[in-house]
Amino acid sequence: MSESPLNSPNGAMVPFTPVILKHIHEAGSHTLDHYVARGGYETARTNVGKTEPGSLVKLVEESGLRGRGGAGFPTGKKWSFLAKGTGKPAYLTVNGDESEPGTFKDRHIVEKDPHQLLEGVILTCWAIQSHHAFIYLRGEFILGYERLEAAVREAKARGFIGKKIFDTDFDLKVVVMRGAGAYICGEETGMLSSIEGGRGYPKIKPPFPAVSGVFQCPTIVNNVETIACVSHIVKNGAAWHKQWGTEKSPGFKIFCLSGAVKKPGVYEVPLGITMKEFIEVYGGGMIEGRTLKAVIPGGLSAPLLTPEMVEKCTLDYESLAGLGSMLGSGGITVLHDQVDLMSAIYNTMRFYHHESCGQCTPCREGTGWLEKLAHKFHEGHAHEGDVDLLGDVARNMRGRTICVLADAAAMPMQSYLQLFRGEFEKRVHEPAYTERKRTARDEITPAAKRDTVTQGGPDVLSVGMGMDRI
Amino acid sequence: MKQVNLKIDGKDVTVPADWTVIKACHQNDVDVPHYCYHPDLSIAGNCRICMVGVKGMPRPVVACAQPVAEGMEVSTTGKDVEEARKGVMEFLLINHPLDCPECDQSGECKLQDYSYDHGRDHGRFHEEKVRKSKATMGPHVKYWGSRCIVCTRCVRFTEEVSGGGELGVIYRGDRSEIALFPGKNLDNPLSMNNVDICPVGALVSSDFLFQSRVWHLHSNPSVCADCSVGCNSRVDLDAKNQIKRIVPRQNDAVNKSWMCDHGRLSFDYVHENRLQKPKVHGKDATWKEARRAALDLLSAPGSVALISAWNTNEAMQSIKNFLSSENPSTRIFGYGNTVEADLVFPGFTISGDKNPNCAGMKQVLGIGDANASLKALAAEKDSIGCLLLVNNIPNFQITAELKSILDRSQNVVLLDFATGDLLRYGNVAVALPTLTTFEKSGSFVNRTGLTQTFDAVMEPVTYGMPETEIVAALRGDRVAVGNQR
Repeated sequence: MSESPLNSPNGAMVPFTPVILKHIHEAGSHTLDHYVARGGYETARTNVGKTEPGSLVKLVEESGLRGRGGAGFPTGKKWSFLAKGTGKPAYLTVNGDESEPGTFKDRHIVEKDPHQLLEGVILTCWAIQSHHAFIYLRGEFILGYERLEAAVREAKARGFIGKKIFDTDFDLKVVVMRGAGAYICGEETGMLSSIEGGRGYPKIKPPFPAVSGVFQCPTIVNNVETIACVSHIVKNGAAWHKQWGTEKSPGFKIFCLSGAVKKPGVYEVPLGITMKEFIEVYGGGMIEGRTLKAVIPGGLSAPLLTPEMVEKCTLDYESLAGLGSMLGSGGITVLHDQVDLMSAIYNTMRFYHHESCGQCTPCREGTGWLEKLAHKFHEGHAHEGDVDLLGDVARNMRGRTICVLADAAAMPMQSYLQLFRGEFEKRVHEPAYTERKRTARDEITPAAKRDTVTQGGPDVLSVGMGMDRI
Repeated sequence: MKQVNLKIDGKDVTVPADWTVIKACHQNDVDVPHYCYHPDLSIAGNCRICMVGVKGMPRPVVACAQPVAEGMEVSTTGKDVEEARKGVMEFLLINHPLDCPECDQSGECKLQDYSYDHGRDHGRFHEEKVRKSKATMGPHVKYWGSRCIVCTRCVRFTEEVSGGGELGVIYRGDRSEIALFPGKNLDNPLSMNNVDICPVGALVSSDFLFQSRVWHLHSNPSVCADCSVGCNSRVDLDAKNQIKRIVPRQNDAVNKSWMCDHGRLSFDYVHENRLQKPKVHGKDATWKEARRAALDLLSAPGSVALISAWNTNEAMQSIKNFLSSENPSTRIFGYGNTVEADLVFPGFTISGDKNPNCAGMKQVLGIGDANASLKALAAEKDSIGCLLLVNNIPNFQITAELKSILDRSQNVVLLDFATGDLLRYGNVAVALPTLTTFEKSGSFVNRTGLTQTFDAVMEPVTYGMPETEIVAALRGDRVAVGNQR
């Protein structure tokens, strides 16, 4: 991995080496001994029971750390919103239900460096004065669950978690929970419902979790990556964190690169580097013989970027928002010139139809309708007027529901329509188009092999990590 | 409670600060469509039809989950709002079977109503619809999954009011449907409320199923007489003067929006085993003959009146007044159905006192405990000259105590609407047919001391008369008979 020099806000060139993913390739990186040997839990030991909790919140606020789950809300600010003096216990819930297609970063932290996460949990709980943390893991992360459970046991045996941690008067209970396979449980309030033992229905906001969250108690919900950043920021200070990134998006972030690039994978880079550089330098450029058609920048729900937009794009929250898309969870999927966009959008819609929880009418019915319409385009059965209908249905879904799953389904549809309307219209007027396209697809990856292709392969079905097998 | 001022469609209103926008609208006669919102259940906010515009908010918000605030400006009309409702209506109907012609809810369905108000005149959905299961939820409730809009009113009802939590949502997305939890059955005594609160034809009553189209029914308000709660009810009758169903009317002071299954289903006695005509010594007689026979008997010394707690205040008062002038030595006792323990649910209580007017009996006749009064009379040994028995208890089963009283009565004058146990038992000299609570007006005092009046909801099905009119006629007869003497 090459070092990436880049301009920090103060204009100095600061070299960057990975922080969170620094040790994941080392043997035994998930064990306590390995973590302690590289100075682990020292930050927690020197801070818990000694540092003023409020000052830790202030420190994180100063560092400018923004939530890594997708929305990018300033973490320290979120902590400062926690309702105080309610007479109820405060909870920390760590969201590890990583299920946004194209995103696979938290998995590496949980599987390969779980103690880093636990130290972040300990420091966060001290900062918000919570004695009970839940770590909610995606159900499919079996190795991650085993390693995190083992890590909690090890840390408990050493007295880092449990009663009177680090020989202070501070008690901390950490519970690792597993999801049961629903994408919606990665939505913060859906996760809270699931932790409570209920159906994973998102809750109406307000009240926000910081006021009334899990079990109607004040709750902080943070992403795994966000929490993993905390110990580094507490250890090195806010200024250290701010030396990378832009003014509004300081620091570094893990990006997941998949699709038609030579070296798909998980890369930790400073925020603010150009998308072009990220794809060319880290991803090794496009696979041979293919050119760039579009990029899904922040998980499957993020609106597409065309090659012209990619030229202008830098990897920070503001740049992507300015281009009408979003940084989201950092799952970047690169589509090459021969990708059948109808197949891609059909696959995308199939995912959201499958995963809508069914609570709100527009999402429950709209996702299914979009999938059925997208299927018609995919199969070449679409009629005149169906293109407009797609746009209409997507528009009727946006902003009309309790959580943003409806928006997550409608946004890609709207962006495909906006940027590649011609491809939709082609299907209406040229029904035979589908047949030609299918043959072309089989040439790239024979049908027999297609099922074994996972993310990163050149096949179109890799969009969304093999969702078509759901 | 602190009050806040807000504007709804330009009209200034003042409402308590803990209200939601939808409640403020409804209480000020501004219609806001809603499916999942129910005033007596928690807020789910999932149907998304109740969207209203709030000044300062970028897009319409759901009125059911939006708390009111000082200075808020709400608009329930406008392009944004109409567009949002139209969108939601379309989504609700794409997978709906549109089987109105065979659906029991047809005619009182919110999908139909709001479709007229906010829907499109044509469908744009040409794909295959999602089909869902049908199920029998319990003895009184059936489920048509495809019609369901998953508003979760029924789920919340079983959790919050009946408390059994029998129902839940299974599957996800547009496959979502309502189902029983394994090993459970929707057989609690409040199960039919789920039929009422279902805004569409998904949960239907097994008892009313295919009995009548609702637009053939005419409805009248009434008060349920089956226990001392006094639920406010609405009785639906067909063109043949037959009761088809009974449903609750909302009254927050008495029964909120609920009613028990027993109260809804106990109307068979109106149409079965009725005492059609007056009888004298077991033979049909004219009203005049029967009244004169009764007058002769009632003046006997040592007479006793036994009045059940199923009688209206008016009946009790008129009989009391009549006896005090006709035969002042007559003593008045009370009786009623046996009193069991209350059935208490988290959001509703079914009274164990299966008489509608025990409290009224105390007010009018001064009898505090009806059955203690019966016991006191049964404990006596003296012969009774004439027993005036005013029953009116449906499906009344004669008790040993009552038998002993009847055994030592020389004559019995019975006022009842049914040819039940009492008439068969034997020594009834005169039987005068009365009317059920559905056929007469009057008032009951419920267990909280609230006097509730009701009117007849239907034409009488027999030649019976209300007790008050019988008493008035007896008084008239007394004048006529007296003149002859």
